[in-house]
This record gives sequence, C-alpha cells and structure tokens, in this order.
Amino acid sequence: MNVEALLTVLLGSGLVAAVPLLLAALGETFAERAGLLNLGLEGMMLIGAFTGFFVALRTGSILLGLLAGLMIGLVLGLFFGLLTITLGVDQVIVGLGLTLFAGGLTGFLFRDIFGSRFPTLATSSPRLPIPLLSAIPIIGSAIFNQRPMVYVAWLLVIVFAFILARTRFGLELRATGENPLAADAAGVNVFRIRYLAISIGGIMAGLAGAFLSVIDLNFFVPGMTVGQGFIAIAVAMLGKWRPYRVFLGAVLFGILRSLSNGLQVIGVDIRPEFVLMLPYLGIILALVVLAGRTSLPAALGVPYERGRK
Amino acid sequence: MNNRPSLRAMVPLFSSILAIVAAFLAGGVFLWLVGKDPLAAYTILLTRGLGSRLGVTETLVKMAPLLIVSAGLLITLKAGVWNIGLDGQFLIGASMVGVVAPLLAGTMPLALMLLICAVVGFTGGLLWGVIPALLKVFYGLNEIITTIMMNFVAVYVTSWLVKGPFKDPGVVAPQMATIPPEYRLPPLPFTDRVHAGVLVGIVAVLLVYGLFHSSTLGFELTVLGRSKKAALHAGMPVNRLTLAALLLSAGLAGLAGANDVLGVKGLFQGEWNPEYGLTGFALVFLARLNGLLVIPFAYFFAFLLFGGEMMARTAKIPAFYVPMLEGMMLIFFALSMYIERRYLHRAERVEKII
Repeated sequence: MNVEALLTVLLGSGLVAAVPLLLAALGETFAERAGLLNLGLEGMMLIGAFTGFFVALRTGSILLGLLAGLMIGLVLGLFFGLLTITLGVDQVIVGLGLTLFAGGLTGFLFRDIFGSRFPTLATSSPRLPIPLLSAIPIIGSAIFNQRPMVYVAWLLVIVFAFILARTRFGLELRATGENPLAADAAGVNVFRIRYLAISIGGIMAGLAGAFLSVIDLNFFVPGMTVGQGFIAIAVAMLGKWRPYRVFLGAVLFGILRSLSNGLQVIGVDIRPEFVLMLPYLGIILALVVLAGRTSLPAALGVPYERGRK
Repeated sequence: MNNRPSLRAMVPLFSSILAIVAAFLAGGVFLWLVGKDPLAAYTILLTRGLGSRLGVTETLVKMAPLLIVSAGLLITLKAGVWNIGLDGQFLIGASMVGVVAPLLAGTMPLALMLLICAVVGFTGGLLWGVIPALLKVFYGLNEIITTIMMNFVAVYVTSWLVKGPFKDPGVVAPQMATIPPEYRLPPLPFTDRVHAGVLVGIVAVLLVYGLFHSSTLGFELTVLGRSKKAALHAGMPVNRLTLAALLLSAGLAGLAGANDVLGVKGLFQGEWNPEYGLTGFALVFLARLNGLLVIPFAYFFAFLLFGGEMMARTAKIPAFYVPMLEGMMLIFFALSMYIERRYLHRAERVEKII
C-alpha cells in the first residue's frame, strides 16, 4: 500500500488543518486561565472567517485579510468582556447567543453580497520551505514546506508558553483563574487581567477563522467552522491549559480532520461519514481518557465582583 | 400601595419584552445599514405572520416542536445542567421514526402506530443523550462540550442512514421512504393542517410545569439547580436527578423529531436539520424558565420562523436574519438581567433602610 503517500497527506494537510484549532485553543487557554469560558468562540471564528475572506477578496491581499480577521476578533473579545467582566452577566448565555448571532450574521451578509455565487480568492499564500529541514526524506517536505502563517502559529505556541510560565502577566493570569479574590487581595487587577485575556482570546479566534477561509480553503461558506470553535475549547481543556500540550492536541485533531482525504488517496473504501465524525467522537474519548475529574480552573465561568465572596 | 407586589412580579416579563424590542431595534438598524427597508420588512413579518390565516396556521404548526423541545429544556435549566445536544437528539429521534413509520403504516390502527412512533422517537433521542449523561455523572465530564460534539456525530450518522441502509431506492435524492398522507398526524378539527403535535407540546410543557410546582422530583431538581452542595447535604440522589434531567430532555428532543416527521415532513430527508436547539434556549430564557410563559413565547418564536421565511421570499431579506435576531435576543436578555439585578436590588436595599 502507498503508506508514504498517506503519511505525506496526513502530515501535510493535518498540520494545516490543525492551525485554526491551535490558534483558537491558545487564545481560549488564556481566557480560561483567567476564569472565562468563551462559548462564543465558534461564532468569533465564523465572523473572523467571513471578515478575513471579504477583505482579502476585495483588496487582493492575504495579509490584510488576516489582519481584518484579527481586528474583528479583538472587537468581539472586548464585547464579550464588557458583558461578562464589567456587567457580570452569564457567560454561557452570552457565548451561545454570540454563536447563534454570528451564524446568522455571516450567513446573511454572504447571501446578501454574493447571492448564490461562491467566489474563491485568486491569490494564495506561497509556500516557504525551510532550508535543510525540508530536505528530510518523506516527512521533511510534509512538515517543513508550509505557508508562513503556519510557522507563525508554531512560534506562537512558544510565545504563549513563555508568557504563561515566565512573566508577571502569566502568573497573575493563573492566579485570577484559580482564586480571583486572593489575586485581588494580593494586588492583582482582576478586571484588567481578564480583559487582556479575553482580548487575546478574541484576537486568536478571529485570526483562526481568517486562516481557515483566507489561507486554508480560499473561500467562505455559511457555517464553515462546523464546530471547530467548540473543538478548540475542548482542545484547550485536554491540554490542561498548557500551550505545548494544546499544540499536541490540536495536531492530533488536525490529522483526524484530514483523515478522510488521506484514506481517499490510498484508495480505502469507507463511507466518508464515518471518517468525518471521528474528530467529534475523538474529543469525547480523549476527554474521558485524559481529562479526569476536577481539572477546570476553580473560578471558571464565575463573574468576579469586588467585595463579594 | 397594594398593587406593588404584583407589579414587581411583572418585572421579569417586562425585561424579556424589552430584550425582544431591543433586538428588533438593533436588527432594524442593521437592515438599514445594509441598505434594506426595515419598516417594510417588519410590516411583512407582522401582516403575513399574524394577519393571515396561512400565517396563524403555519405558526401553530411550527410551534409544536418548539414546545416539545422547550419542555425538556425547562427541566435541564431548572436543574442547572446544560443539554446543548438537542439538535442531535432531535435528528436521531426523527430518523428512527423515519425508518419505523413507513414500515408500520397500514399494518395497524393509526392511533397505535402514532403511539409506537412517539415512543420510538422519544427513545431515539434519549439514547443519544445517554453517553453525555453517563459521562457527566460518572466521570464529572462537562456536558456542554460532550453534548455539542454529539450533535455533529448525529449529523453524520443520520446522513449515513439516509444515504445508505435506509435510503428510498425509488428516488435519486437521499431520503427515506415516504409515509402515506393518511398515516401521518391528522389535522385538528376546524383547521387546515394544524395537527395534534401542538397539543402534545402544550401538554408536555404543562406536565413539566406541574412537575416543578407540585412534586418531590420537581422540588429536588430545583434544589439541585440552585445549589448542588445543598442537594448533596440534604441527601438527595444528585446523580440520579442529573441523569433524569438530561435523559428526559433528550427524549423530548427525540419526540420533537417524531413530531416533525409524522406531522410536517412525512419522511426523513438528508441534509435536513432545523436546529431548534439554540432557538429553544432563547425561548426558554426569555420565558424566564416559567412553564406557563413558555407557551406564548413558543408562539412568538414560531411566528418569527414563519415570518422569516416570508421576509426571505418577499422582502429579499435572507432567512439568516432569524438566527441573528435570536442571538441578539439572548445577548439583550443577559443584559436585561444585569439591569434588573442592579436596579431592582438597589431599590430593595433602599426600602429596607427606610
């Protein structure tokens, strides 16, 4: 059997499919570390995907598309923060509301602007092979011949891990999620930390969506995130909010997502539905095996109000 | 002042209405920004939805699944658990009825067939809820993520069923066998096509209302919803209560699927996914988890679904406008809760001081 071809496809497209999950899950890692459960992540990704695609299509610039996705993500993150941090309203309700709204908004705008057409981007991001590494047989060209944004996502893992473990902000972030009252008493500005965390979460969600439409697929269709935002939340939980483990989880589920392509390449005859459902079943299975009990940050989902225990 | 307590009791309803009005206003501004005429659109929504016999009929038809789903949601939300897997449970229940109903049609009295189909739909939905429910109870796994994941699995499972083993071989499109019209839910007297599903829905909601107002189970579920710790300390069977809440709501979602196959579509079609789940959340929250309020709010949301179709057809406003509005309603509802908490409670404090 053509194992080499399978491996190349799985690694090559799996690593690309992992990027939106990775970006969104890294952002969610920060948000959850600060005690915010962002169920609006799916919606933020979708709006990021639409905005990024629209801007890239109109300007012809991939970079501007990514930037637009990132900016709209920031706006949405701040909006989520305003409601849940400043006003202290229920995070689950706002998150689900945002996801419902985003599905409607992006579908509405897409239909209204493009009718029944499905335009694709004319330009795509060029590949950037890394010298020497990309010459490794079999895996080299699959792993080290990516579009620049993929390398950026990998670098961000290291950056996020460093921030979380080695900086004052990282320490305050962790303290806020575990015990906001104690953090506040120790002089941490809980509100500022949470706003920073959700801003980063929003930026990463918007960027993840834009990556999906602008770089990975080159088109937009309504509802195109098909639950990837929720998978990203699960990946953050599975990785126990540690960036390196989040990276492993994202790659695993990226490969699962691209499994149907891979099996087609080597000619395995299996109903595509069974392969397509694997990531979702896999998330449940992985949560059972890896997560165990009581691993959530203690203050997750709880609004913080000064002077109230 | 004597009427003051009753006025205070009206505040929750008032803030829900405020949230709906705010969503319509924000939606109107959005329509205006993208170059549509919001007034014309809302006029169509109102006149077609409320002012015509067709509108009222269609609204009552669409109300049935919303009511049935909401009955289950009421149970879970009052018990403090999140079943976001309603869409998947709906699809599984619907597809099982799609398989069973055409086989049974004609072999037995209609009433018996409908009863069996209702049980099949309920069981299908319930079974789909078993995995997240057991994982929640025995592994402490958060049900939000697992129920959402099960939705996507259900989409692919039913897609396989309808394209593979249970495809109607006589048709090109992926669909199951069609139920002959005389073996579907019959229309109610004096109506064109409003069928018994809406009554099933009203009964289900009233039963849940009764459950919470005059039964031990309802009381225990309420305590669980308010504080799991309190329920544990009082020696209540927390695990069994959680299971009951999740499974009942899952079963009811499956029953809603049975309703739509037997009363509306007459068959199970591929690519069909009405996604009542999040609509149900908006509905039940706006009804403030009050079973009696759920009924008029279900009418309102069904009206919105039908009016959305009308706006899409006549005012060139994509049907996506409805989920947009519903999402905004949820967000404005959360906001109105904040305002309520802040100003109402401040008023209470002032009263105490005086």
